[in-house]
Amino acid sequence: MIKVYKAKSIITMNPSLPRTEAVAVRDSLILETGSLDSMKPWLENNDYEIDEQFRDSIIVPGLIDPHLHPSMAAVLLPTFFITAMEWRFPWGDTPATTSPEDYDKRLKEALTNPTHKDIFITWGHHDLWHGPMSRSRLNKIESNKPIVVWNRSFHELCMNDGALDYLGITEDDVKGASQIDFERGRFFELGLGYAVQKLNPYILDPEIFKEGLLKLKEVVHFGGQTTIADMAVGLFNFDNEFDTQLELYENEDNPFRVELIAHATALIQYAGGSNLEAEKLIAKLPERNTHKLNFRKRVKLFTDGAFFAQVAQLMEPGYIDGHEGEWLSTPEQFEEVARIYWNQGYAIHVHVTGDLGLELALDTLEKLQFEKPRFNHGFTLEHFGLSTPEQVYRLSKLGANVSANAYYVHELSDLYANHTVGSERASSMSRIGSCFREGVTTGLHSDFTMAPAQPLMSMWVAVNRVNEKGNVMSPEERITPQQGLEAITINAARILGLDHEIGTVRAGKKADFTVLNKDPLEIDPMEIKDIEIIATVFEGKVFPINKK
Amino acid sequence: MIPLTIISGYLGSGKTTLINQLLREAKNPIGVLVNDFGDLQVDAKLIENKDSLTLSLTNGCVCCNLNEDLGSSLEQMKEKDVEAVVIEASGVALPIKLANYGLTWPGYSLSGILSVVQGESLINLLSDKFVSKTVRAQIEQADQILLNRFQDKDKEILSRLNADYITEKEVKSYWDLIFEEITPVNCFTEQELDQHSTFQSSVLSTDKVINRNRLERYLIKNSSIERAKGWIRDEGGKTWLLQMNKSECNFSISSYETNTRLVFIHTQDLDLNSLDPIYS
Ligand SMILES: [Zn+2]
Repeated sequence: MIKVYKAKSIITMNPSLPRTEAVAVRDSLILETGSLDSMKPWLENNDYEIDEQFRDSIIVPGLIDPHLHPSMAAVLLPTFFITAMEWRFPWGDTPATTSPEDYDKRLKEALTNPTHKDIFITWGHHDLWHGPMSRSRLNKIESNKPIVVWNRSFHELCMNDGALDYLGITEDDVKGASQIDFERGRFFELGLGYAVQKLNPYILDPEIFKEGLLKLKEVVHFGGQTTIADMAVGLFNFDNEFDTQLELYENEDNPFRVELIAHATALIQYAGGSNLEAEKLIAKLPERNTHKLNFRKRVKLFTDGAFFAQVAQLMEPGYIDGHEGEWLSTPEQFEEVARIYWNQGYAIHVHVTGDLGLELALDTLEKLQFEKPRFNHGFTLEHFGLSTPEQVYRLSKLGANVSANAYYVHELSDLYANHTVGSERASSMSRIGSCFREGVTTGLHSDFTMAPAQPLMSMWVAVNRVNEKGNVMSPEERITPQQGLEAITINAARILGLDHEIGTVRAGKKADFTVLNKDPLEIDPMEIKDIEIIATVFEGKVFPINKK
Repeated sequence: MIPLTIISGYLGSGKTTLINQLLREAKNPIGVLVNDFGDLQVDAKLIENKDSLTLSLTNGCVCCNLNEDLGSSLEQMKEKDVEAVVIEASGVALPIKLANYGLTWPGYSLSGILSVVQGESLINLLSDKFVSKTVRAQIEQADQILLNRFQDKDKEILSRLNADYITEKEVKSYWDLIFEEITPVNCFTEQELDQHSTFQSSVLSTDKVINRNRLERYLIKNSSIERAKGWIRDEGGKTWLLQMNKSECNFSISSYETNTRLVFIHTQDLDLNSLDPIYS
């Protein structure tokens, strides 16, 4: 049986046939896209059905997020969100809570349902909006039931008497520890590490971890994604991460596939202790592949520290306050590991955040190209926080791809301009326009939970480059809506090596679609993030999005 | 309190050799935590520790503290009845970040930061495109430097960086390099240590912010304080390196983020509560 979906318009992203109005699907495959008239030869001798449910909607290729972290999402999503910004979730929006009074009120109401066994954990507290948090403030709301308030930045948490009691943290235990304020119930930086270690049995509890992954499933569907990539399997615990995803995502009613990319260094210990053993293990991972969960010949490496934490490695003139960035391994070790995977023919995905971190990746790539030249090798620069135009030129010549986090521009460019690296460099973070001009295959990702897992939001930032203060940062680095849509469909597919199967609507590809209420290439670009996603279609099966 | 020592140094500088020497000299069980990113087990295997007192660490999540691997290893070490714990930092670690564990983690106190420098590669590393700043930081943040495989010019380089170093040949007992109660030994010269009997030392670790001028006034007024060295954090969030002796009191801005950590050498009892006026 052939099913023909009619739409107001189909944006195919296939340059040879950019717009159509109907698409014929058999099982999980696209037979043809065009008009009812043009697909007659298919329909004449076969049973078919015309489905009109999307006739007033726009169909685009199924959206792809080529870099997020299901295991981090699984930890965060079970907590109760009380946040200064509005967060949109499939189970309802988290409204903006912007005053201390409202914060306390919301907390009090929510307390009736503990999030983690007996403990209530809330995430999103921000001093600026919600006022300083303390044990006594929490005790006034509730002193017996354990409450843990986790800061938006992840760098601090606060407990009431009930929580300290429940976790068995006494004044004696933490005496003299400089980043723990027992009196005020506050744990920050390394002190936070101490508290998190006590909380680990709850936040990493297998049942709650599962609950978190199920919530992520809804979030991914809600964002219109039909393909995601877990860009560092092994972040916490390899077996646990793989087994749980297998249990929860490998079934008929899961509306997306998951590409799994192993975290090479995290697997060293698991594999027996050396890089060579890790490579042997990673080479065998595809043996575990199922229909929806797949390892390929890809691997994840890191150069420098996290962009949000301001430990990216920068070239001169560095950070305004003179602090140093961080390396995650020595350049020698990075090169050694990269060589092992390069010579075995892997596509290497490298986390790079600062321009010096990027420089190390490019120097290494250039050296490896000289030793063992490869074409279309899929070496991908992930995140791409700060860069120079010269580096974009060079990476283009070396054949690298870019998978950028555009959201940096939105959330961090104002802060970075005023406090961290100055206006010139801050405004050109996520230098995506240059990448398109140099012909680099460039995709966009969320790195969820770093940014919302909503590709249309990433596209909106890349197209408009408007930061949280409403300023346009380096308009020259904006991309067109057409390029923006490429970045979350066909280019993202290329970055994952799946462009032969997904990323455009054309005969022979998987029937993966995202159905929108407005045309993202025709509307005012500032409205792209507000486009409503009506449904996704995964391998020919319709998954409507229920509005709540 | 278990004394915690950070042994830092770039790849190949000789950290493992030093740790093995420490272990050979040790009379009591010592816990060793190896924090390296490369072939972990290989590094950990090179440590000649009896029993299971060596743990390797992996890097956790780079964006948050969820995988508190170092912290949980410190907790495990508490169970093991060790006399002291030594962390072999990764080749690119900024040792002061690890030192914060000694100041913060319940049950531990910071013994000091010892950096190992290999003369042969020093010049190249200090001008390296990628790691020059990291290597310089490892030298500047150290309480004590052990210099090996060196020539005279390497000594000059270290002197120019104002680094306190000792060479392999000068080492009598490796333990003297680090375990001096909780005082980082090389805040003070050999001579001063000889006079130790008449001096006492106190350490102030706090996350309260300190007013620089008030601290200076306090130090000048308190005639029992002979020397002070360490970092303070002021009300603007800036970190300053303080070096004070009888003839001068010198603050220099430091690019390292750390809480206040000061070592005082004094002749009469020093009540740390009497320091209240220095906080801002
Ligand atoms: Zn990531």
